Amino acid sequence: MFKKLIEESTGKSPWLFHINAGSCNGCDIELVSVLTPRYDAERLGFKLAGSPRHADIVVVTGPVTAQSLPRVLRAISQVPEPRCIVTMGSCPQSGNVFRGSYSIAGPLSKYVHVDVDVAGCAPKPEAVIDGLALATQILQQKRREMK
Amino acid sequence: MSIILDAVKYLLYILVFPGFLFCFLSGMLLCGIDRKIVARMQKRVGPPVLQPFYDFFKLCGKETIVPAAASRTAFLLAPLVGLAALVVIQLFIPVFNFSAFSGVADIIVILYLLLIPALSVIFGGAASGSPYAGVGLSREMVTIISVELPLVLVLLAVAKTVGSALGTGLCFSLTQIVAWQAQHGSLIGTPSMIAAAIAMLMIIPGETGSHPFDAAEAETEICEGLLAEYSGAPLGVYKLSHAVKMLTMTSLFVALFFGGIGGGIDRLLLSWGLTGGAAGAIGMLIGIVVLFLLCVVLTIVCISFVHAVTARLRIEQIFKYYWTVVTGVALISLVLAWYGL
Repeated sequence: MFKKLIEESTGKSPWLFHINAGSCNGCDIELVSVLTPRYDAERLGFKLAGSPRHADIVVVTGPVTAQSLPRVLRAISQVPEPRCIVTMGSCPQSGNVFRGSYSIAGPLSKYVHVDVDVAGCAPKPEAVIDGLALATQILQQKRREMK
Repeated sequence: MSIILDAVKYLLYILVFPGFLFCFLSGMLLCGIDRKIVARMQKRVGPPVLQPFYDFFKLCGKETIVPAAASRTAFLLAPLVGLAALVVIQLFIPVFNFSAFSGVADIIVILYLLLIPALSVIFGGAASGSPYAGVGLSREMVTIISVELPLVLVLLAVAKTVGSALGTGLCFSLTQIVAWQAQHGSLIGTPSMIAAAIAMLMIIPGETGSHPFDAAEAETEICEGLLAEYSGAPLGVYKLSHAVKMLTMTSLFVALFFGGIGGGIDRLLLSWGLTGGAAGAIGMLIGIVVLFLLCVVLTIVCISFVHAVTARLRIEQIFKYYWTVVTGVALISLVLAWYGL
């Protein structure tokens, strides 16, 4: 019963940690707008956590520059299991307009397993909420498979 | 035989009511209502009222990471010590006519025990070895120092008012204070106690570390400060302590200033023609419901509303605010109480 309670709760309280991997700030602002009164992701239990140790879902924005890559990987490795990684915007997914640049180490999926990609430059808040909801389901699935 | 019965009784007090289970359920509910109200004030739909429960159980199911630099025992034990202290305080706070433990000087005990949750966060944060926790630690200490002075003054004013009415000088027994109010009406009626209640309302958000006074746990600047390295169940226990602290502070307020409601419940039961054991049980049930409703109102007034309309203060602003405005109001109430107003 306790296990079921935890499983249910995992799907209802996903906390986000946001990593900026060289983003132009467009996606960052869109992510914040998801939490504003208009879109209010908190009604689904989403909360922006201050520390990676508190997070369930890691949201990565930006094309993962060579400088930021080790920091991104280090921050992701500090998130306790079960965790989900969501890339936001086209940059971490494909490199977007920065593709082929000498300073870009992305896409992120070369280094870690990415659960959900939300494409767009920048993605609409509706798309972000949709992606996060999908990530929440994956999170619940991962919790079910633990132990 | 009676020893065993007593042991069972006290075990029930500690584990069920007014101890752990009551603290857990009503503290979390208060926290959920607070979040919902803040959301509604910001024109949002807001999380479900049961959201803190979901957060707590989710955190129980997460991996607990102990940093390599941390001292393991202190890091994992500190949250439990803080929660235990809060549950003990709740045992000392009377629910109108019912009090689990009573002593000659409960108020002094509560004053000391109120420090332990804050100290446990400091202890755990220091044990985690994180630099963010170091910054949070110094801020938390300053917050404690700021809040403690007006809190002591308010409690002194209440002790003096009831003490001079009883003719014993200072009355530090919370049970006696509530019993006196049940006979003579709530303390909130007199001028000195109105000032004390206003000061206490200002103290509650500072003591619980909620919004304008949460410089120690500022998530946007210092990664939630003292909690930066916590994850999984210990973090859940800290979140629970924060919720229980809201219940503790608001129910302390109710016991200090609205104790007269206990007398009202007694008269109501008498008018229904109830006496003896049944009256005690029903009176206690009504008491719990009334206490919880009052706690909700107080939470909305002095935590949710303040959260929705203010931005976070810097640490020196918190210190200045408490040692000038709040201490001033508390001093006025103390002087008035000394002249018997």
